[in-house]
Amino acid sequence: MPRSSASSRPPRLRLLAVLRAFWSANLAEELAYRANLVASVLGTVFWMGTAVLTAGVFFRQTPALGGWGFWEVVALLGVFNAVAGVVEALLRPNIGRIVQHVRQGTMDLILTKPLDPQFHVSFRRVVIWRGTDILLGLGLAGYALLRAGTVPSLASLLAFALTLAAALAIVYAVWLALMTLSFWFVAVENLEILFDSVYEAARFPVTAYPRAVRFVLVYLLPIAWITTVPASALTGRVGLGTAAVALAVAAAALVATRLLWNAALRRYTSAGG
Amino acid sequence: MNGRVTGLATRYAALIRAAWLTDLQYRAAIAIWLVLGVAQPLITLAVWWAVAGGGEVGGYGQADFARYFFALMLVDQLTLAWDVWYIDRWIREGELNFRLARPLNPIHEAIADNIAYKMKTGTLVLVVWAGIALVWPAVRLELGPGRLALAVLAIVLAAAIRFVSTYVNGLLAFWTTRATAIAELHFGISLFLAGRIAPLSLLPPAVADVAGVLWFPYMLAFPVEVLTGGVTTAADLLRGFGWQCFWLAAWIGVYRAVWTRGLRRYGAVGG
Repeated sequence: MPRSSASSRPPRLRLLAVLRAFWSANLAEELAYRANLVASVLGTVFWMGTAVLTAGVFFRQTPALGGWGFWEVVALLGVFNAVAGVVEALLRPNIGRIVQHVRQGTMDLILTKPLDPQFHVSFRRVVIWRGTDILLGLGLAGYALLRAGTVPSLASLLAFALTLAAALAIVYAVWLALMTLSFWFVAVENLEILFDSVYEAARFPVTAYPRAVRFVLVYLLPIAWITTVPASALTGRVGLGTAAVALAVAAAALVATRLLWNAALRRYTSAGG
Repeated sequence: MNGRVTGLATRYAALIRAAWLTDLQYRAAIAIWLVLGVAQPLITLAVWWAVAGGGEVGGYGQADFARYFFALMLVDQLTLAWDVWYIDRWIREGELNFRLARPLNPIHEAIADNIAYKMKTGTLVLVVWAGIALVWPAVRLELGPGRLALAVLAIVLAAAIRFVSTYVNGLLAFWTTRATAIAELHFGISLFLAGRIAPLSLLPPAVADVAGVLWFPYMLAFPVEVLTGGVTTAADLLRGFGWQCFWLAAWIGVYRAVWTRGLRRYGAVGG
């Protein structure tokens, strides 16, 4: 069968073109609802405010949480908010809907397309006004650094960028692994809520928890890598060495969930569905 | 009068049974909601536990915090109310109409649904707490029958206040598309004023004083403190129960006003 000209283009260029096609209609649709943007910003500011006040309640009783000062914890809350913004913008609207695809049969349509199904399922939609969460979160982190009197060195900023990228990759892998369970537990509609439950633990540096909990959050549920590690890089507590480890953990997580995804697809299609 | 009461009781029994059976189909989803419900108190407890260390913080030692937050998890599950979400949907998507045609006010269906759900999750939390208390002395409660009865009363009143206030919140959908946003605001405030982040005595005194005259602590913190023995003097108990009765009556009054006005407006726009 002759190869079409579309498939002879380098794969990466094609993926970008697909993304543009996916998102341009999306953006036009979302930007029409400007009231959503205002409501979204107000909501984010409110929840960031309650998070900072919560930290304040703890700091009335103690000068440090797990060795972190107040403004360091606020910087971590900024990172928490930024990562949550990515979750709301890209993960929940896409991977979070896998169970609906499976139940409504649209998963079959996705599988017949020439595009890699994992890519399709992961990046079909973007909720653009959630980008404000990311900006506000990073802004809060920057402001907190100012108040803490820490000026991050270039190496720290680089380490922050790398650990943040690793954190986002790990969050993606966790979401994918969790939602892949939908192939087996088709009747459960709210699997994504399990992520939200565990993600609550990412609001504090892992050193703020008792030692047994700390162990779980570093080695079992990778919460430590999602907010504590990037925030540590930003405040200079860890450096490029840790960033390298974080990237390795992220790579391992992506590979593992890709294998899980493939296993789920094999089982799904082999059932004649 | 007697016939009316038994009629209502029979109807409630039927509604609760129907809700119980529906919930059985969603037991995995309900279990996951339960996980979310206990996650925040457990995480908060973990941080306070580490902060308290071997000593105490504001009069609370590690065991005190453990008892407080375990009690909070139980009372939270027993006072849960989620009506704002589906009432908002009913009103905006027209699902209220066929419910209005029924002989019973839709609020009864909502109450029965609420009770059936809690029978499951409340029992689960209670059983798990009892199990954990067997191996972890810190979370054990010494509960005499007198205090247990008072705690049950406080919990029932708290559940009623929480139910009516969230129901009214849902009815705001008659006037605004942002009823759920108001619910989020309400929840955000209750993080502090209802004692979810910390026992009220650990908050700045001005904040605790403001909380004491609003309905927030009487939906959660007050029944929790009755259960754990944090509220002991007759004066404090009377004051707490007094405020609970006041706020329940106030919210029922608001409900009545909002329901009649809302229906009039709903009917007027041809809904």
